[in-house]
Amino acid sequence: MKHSIYLLLSATLLIVGCGTTSKLNKAQAYKGMYEEKPVSVLIMPPINRSTNVDAKEYFHTTLNVPILNAGYYVIPPFLSMEILKRESAYDSELFIEKPSLKIFNKIFGADIILFTKINKWDKSSLASQVTVEVEYILKSAHTSEILYSRKGTISYNTSISSGGSFLLNMVASAINTAATKYVDVAKAANNYIFTDLPKGKYSPMFGLDKEEMAGLKVIKVRLPR
Amino acid sequence: MKKYIYIFIVAFAFYSCSAPKGLYSFEKYQEASYNYLKKADEKSLNKIMEQYQKIIKKQKGTRNVTPPGMLADYGFFLIQRGDLKAGKENLNKEILLYPESKIFIDRILKLIEK
Repeated sequence: MKHSIYLLLSATLLIVGCGTTSKLNKAQAYKGMYEEKPVSVLIMPPINRSTNVDAKEYFHTTLNVPILNAGYYVIPPFLSMEILKRESAYDSELFIEKPSLKIFNKIFGADIILFTKINKWDKSSLASQVTVEVEYILKSAHTSEILYSRKGTISYNTSISSGGSFLLNMVASAINTAATKYVDVAKAANNYIFTDLPKGKYSPMFGLDKEEMAGLKVIKVRLPR
Repeated sequence: MKKYIYIFIVAFAFYSCSAPKGLYSFEKYQEASYNYLKKADEKSLNKIMEQYQKIIKKQKGTRNVTPPGMLADYGFFLIQRGDLKAGKENLNKEILLYPESKIFIDRILKLIEK
């Protein structure tokens, strides 16, 4: 009896702990990524359809780090923002459905373009939980094909600090408590979403992760785990 | 024996979920970026400049190389502050470290020359 409880517990932990995967491996799920072998990523300003006016910036400033850590070159964010503004291309809505994105390859040398849509940002009445619904679409600048996409409903408990960094954040940076907390929400969501991205040129795993099982395109998750 | 199997399963569950060390380290770059994007004042600019300096000076990630984009954005802010020489140096360093940035950075360098 005792044994079966242990076994049940460990099995549950194994399943709950790692979320669910699709039935495809990465080579099948992200065929275009392995064929095109993109190097440079251009991050477009997020499209904010939520009621939180700051959500765009929370997400925009925390997208490059997980993509860099996956081994890609990300076009310098502030420089690219400046050029997008100059070229009157700062509004991502203008480009997300465009049949050709080749112009981004010409100007920025980008191989893939990241579009994000923040559909929802809900704060619970207890103020310790934020639920966001975000879509991520990585399109090829060469073919305009979608190479990687995710639609995530992510609940984040802001009262649990991630690795004790919360207090440090408050002391180290000049931003107020609420903003620090909400930057953490976006960070957690973005980090989670890109863990499944096939590894890029600068990762030691580049080209070696094809057999790994791919995650689901639509996900619902509570963070931090 | 069975006990060991359970321990193994539990250990595996934890192991397979733990985040491995990243390729790069970023200090408080993301918070400083948000702050600068939101405020764009002298204080927030100083904060983000500090973060670039730290990231460029010391890396704790597995690659032990300055992450893409940091030298270029740092250079861009230096130019905005009027330090053209140091700014251009950093932009050129970005190209040396990451040749795929050449198309874009060359365009920026040309814009500066104008």
